[in-house]
Amino acid sequence: MMPSRKMVPLMVAGGVVTVIMGFIVAVLLISWFSNPPFGLGNAPSQPIAFPHTVHVAENNIQCEFCHRNVTKGEAATVPAVETCLFCHKDIDGGTVAAQEEINKVRTAFDTDTPIDWARVHRLPDHVRFIHEAHIRYFTDETIGVKYGINGEELSESPDVAQTCTICHGDVANKEVVQPKTGQSLKMGTCVDCHRVNSIPTDCTVCHK
Amino acid sequence: MKLTRRNFLAWAGLGAVGAVACEGFGIREGELDIQSPVSLPEDLVRGTDNWYASLCRTCPSCEGIVIRVMEGRAKMVQGNPFYPTNRGKIHARCQGGLQALYHPDRITTPMRRSGPRGSGEFTSINWEPNGIDTLRNALRANGSSSVMITEPLRGHMALLADRFATAIGGERLGFEAIDNNTYRAAVKNVFNQDSLPDFDLEHSKFILSFGADFLSTWVSPTRFGRGYGEFRQGHGRDRGMFYQIDSRFSMTAANADKWLPVRPGWEGHLALSLAQVIVSENLQDDRVDIDALVGGDTGRQTLNTFRPEIVAPLAGLTPAMTGGDPVAFLKSLARSFAASQPSIAIGGGSAGAQSNGLFNLEAIYALNYLVGTAGKKGGVRFNPPSPWADVPSSSTAGSLEDWTRITEQIRRGQTKLLMLHGADPVHGLPDSLQLRDAIAQADDLLVVSFSPFLDDTSALADLILPDRVSMEDWGDDISEPGPGYQVVGLQQPVVNPLSELDPLSFPDVLLTMAQELGKEADLPWANFKLMLREGSDALFNLNRGSIEATTADEFWNGLLRRGGWWDEFRNGPTTVRPAEGLLKTIADNASEPSFAGIRVGSDDSLYLVPFAHNTLLDGYNGHLPWLQAAPDPLSTVTWQTWVELSDATADHLGVKEGDILRIQSSKDSIRAIAYPSPAVPPDTISIPFGQGRKHGSDYATDRNGSESSNVMDILETTTVKGTGSLAWAGTRVRVTKTGESVSISKLEGNVRAEEIGILPTEDIIKTIAPENT
Repeated sequence: MMPSRKMVPLMVAGGVVTVIMGFIVAVLLISWFSNPPFGLGNAPSQPIAFPHTVHVAENNIQCEFCHRNVTKGEAATVPAVETCLFCHKDIDGGTVAAQEEINKVRTAFDTDTPIDWARVHRLPDHVRFIHEAHIRYFTDETIGVKYGINGEELSESPDVAQTCTICHGDVANKEVVQPKTGQSLKMGTCVDCHRVNSIPTDCTVCHK
Repeated sequence: MKLTRRNFLAWAGLGAVGAVACEGFGIREGELDIQSPVSLPEDLVRGTDNWYASLCRTCPSCEGIVIRVMEGRAKMVQGNPFYPTNRGKIHARCQGGLQALYHPDRITTPMRRSGPRGSGEFTSINWEPNGIDTLRNALRANGSSSVMITEPLRGHMALLADRFATAIGGERLGFEAIDNNTYRAAVKNVFNQDSLPDFDLEHSKFILSFGADFLSTWVSPTRFGRGYGEFRQGHGRDRGMFYQIDSRFSMTAANADKWLPVRPGWEGHLALSLAQVIVSENLQDDRVDIDALVGGDTGRQTLNTFRPEIVAPLAGLTPAMTGGDPVAFLKSLARSFAASQPSIAIGGGSAGAQSNGLFNLEAIYALNYLVGTAGKKGGVRFNPPSPWADVPSSSTAGSLEDWTRITEQIRRGQTKLLMLHGADPVHGLPDSLQLRDAIAQADDLLVVSFSPFLDDTSALADLILPDRVSMEDWGDDISEPGPGYQVVGLQQPVVNPLSELDPLSFPDVLLTMAQELGKEADLPWANFKLMLREGSDALFNLNRGSIEATTADEFWNGLLRRGGWWDEFRNGPTTVRPAEGLLKTIADNASEPSFAGIRVGSDDSLYLVPFAHNTLLDGYNGHLPWLQAAPDPLSTVTWQTWVELSDATADHLGVKEGDILRIQSSKDSIRAIAYPSPAVPPDTISIPFGQGRKHGSDYATDRNGSESSNVMDILETTTVKGTGSLAWAGTRVRVTKTGESVSISKLEGNVRAEEIGILPTEDIIKTIAPENT
């Protein structure tokens, strides 16, 4: 049966609304299940294939050596190109592929060009997350029992590198950095962790 | 659909909402970029530095330091401005302590010997099993026949080590290659004091020093250097007068107004000669009961046998040295010393390292009674006992007699467990004692080293359980000498060990062992920090001193913040009475120095006066490259072992700078690089201690025997009468050329010291460029 002519505008309007609502729902679902929010669930492509495996797992460079501000301030910060040249002025890399990547770094330094990395972890602008405070807490040996981000009890005080893995996962053994698999970094996660560790959960603790 | 006004507005509104929604959920360009800047300006300004107060452990004297920690790394050491002994000043050695922290040759894990003993072959093991349990089993089986050799200890570490040794039925001995036993004995015999005294140089007007290189290496040079600065340039005072009587031209001698090169071992006779002048001319302080001090007429008669006329030739004084008649010089010196009040007499170093060293130092320190400055302002200042009843404020060290006994025990198999911490006796004892052979050949002996670095003794270990270095660990100390009042310093960990290192704190290991061996009654603390905290609480309960706190926690925080606790009102004695007839007793015990081995008077034999290296000391710091590279204050030589000999001797032997010489005693010979200097007495040579390690860090060992040798290898085992300590300045040697030559590594360049003078009696020394020579 053909719809009456009077029903056509209503059907068109309903279809448009359905499409719009579907779009909004889709965006919200993606936002919710991707991690962290807004389409960052997977490893983004980077301008240089930097392997944490070689630097951290094999050569034991500590997190703070490159992320120099992580134990001192709000942002962990990425290293300056000059920092890479501390070693790569002399170290060429073991493979052709590695040499190519290292040459990109050298070229960036020689041509005075900053490197734009793609951010892997990002929290909304209204969140004030201070790396230093979190590392200070987890590495403080005078604090008795501490709990990790999923409520797991930590058997002993972690060091800085172990503290990083609580939120960021085993970056040392990742060829390509991506968020910790299955790990939510949403507000509920923060609040749960604060509660279980008896840390204040007032709004102003985290929100600007 | 008909386009009506209503429809148009509806669609337009819907479109606008969709556009806003899409834009809002989208991500702006560059939002997810994070940029690596090219250069690193943040290294200059980024980050927050923290300064932690602690203690320096690269020299035996305890200096308060503050350590700058940035980005989790200790980066700089400076003096703690509050700490009473050094008040913000430090020695170059303290700076070198940083390198122990980051040293590439640190022992990273426990190790077990895998080759023959002494081969230096080790395999890494775990602390548990194989490390701690081996130690536990050894202590259980052989604790009663154990010997623990440590660095000289004070404070709670001394208490812990002594209680541990007693609890297991063993013995602990402190080790110092250049020990202060004779000096301690002299202080005890003359002043009846158990701890080392301070010298109030800043208020003194006349310093008379015999053999003590107190501005460079002797006892507490930073403290003395600070006092010396005031002595010379203090506000509102005249520049003081300073005489150094010493058989070597040391840095201290170089700062003196007059250096008198005395024949080695005759310092005591010279001191009594000055005493004789003061007594005979009645120049002593008015408050002195001179008859009681001298011992009446008999004492005066005895003292008269030390008249300058008799002593001056014995001490080798010549008109060239004294700028005229030596006898008149000594009399003039005695008069100036007595008249310039307050004045102070100091003795140590080579003056006490002779067979008659105890007599020498007793005679020197007794001069302070004559001028009335013992315990007084501008004179010798005594220190009070420890603020804790059971915690030692003075360190003890074994004498050569002790080490001979220990060596024999090892050789006979009576010692079955040897534990080492902070001591390298194989390097620091005369080779002729054969401690190395005794350990190497002992089958039924377990040697456990707690050293974080390999050294000559650790290389003989069966088990190495590496300790933390001082910047990673807790500790305390009672400054010796203190500043005349009670001072306790606290050492705190300022950084964690680097990730590749797996050390365990030595005191914590001892406490763990005590618990596991059922010795909780003697050592009830779970770890060393708790032991120190208990000490802190005890200080808090004294309710006095520099830290104001209402709770014990607050007091502990104050202790950590300031790096220690002190009480300026808890002083040492200001009045000390000399024993009846002290000068007579000392004079009666006078003896001439004796030199074993190569005979005195043979044409080619020379006095060997070794000296502590300015930064390496007795070799304790040999593995630290900054301290190897720090130039000697006088010769400016770095990294090498040099032999100072006079220009006359060099000419006689046909030696020039850089020639490698063989120094031969009756025991052995070493090679060293010639450094001719006009400032060396003709019959004397001097060689620094500290080099010549055979095992361990490349910084200490990676040079051949021509450039790095251990003067201990050729020392005779002569002992000091009355203390049994090694008379390390009591050896005579013969010097020959090897025909080889190297470039000496000195900073001085081509400019060398030359002796000039308008008149023959003037002995001005200045440096001149070679084109002017």
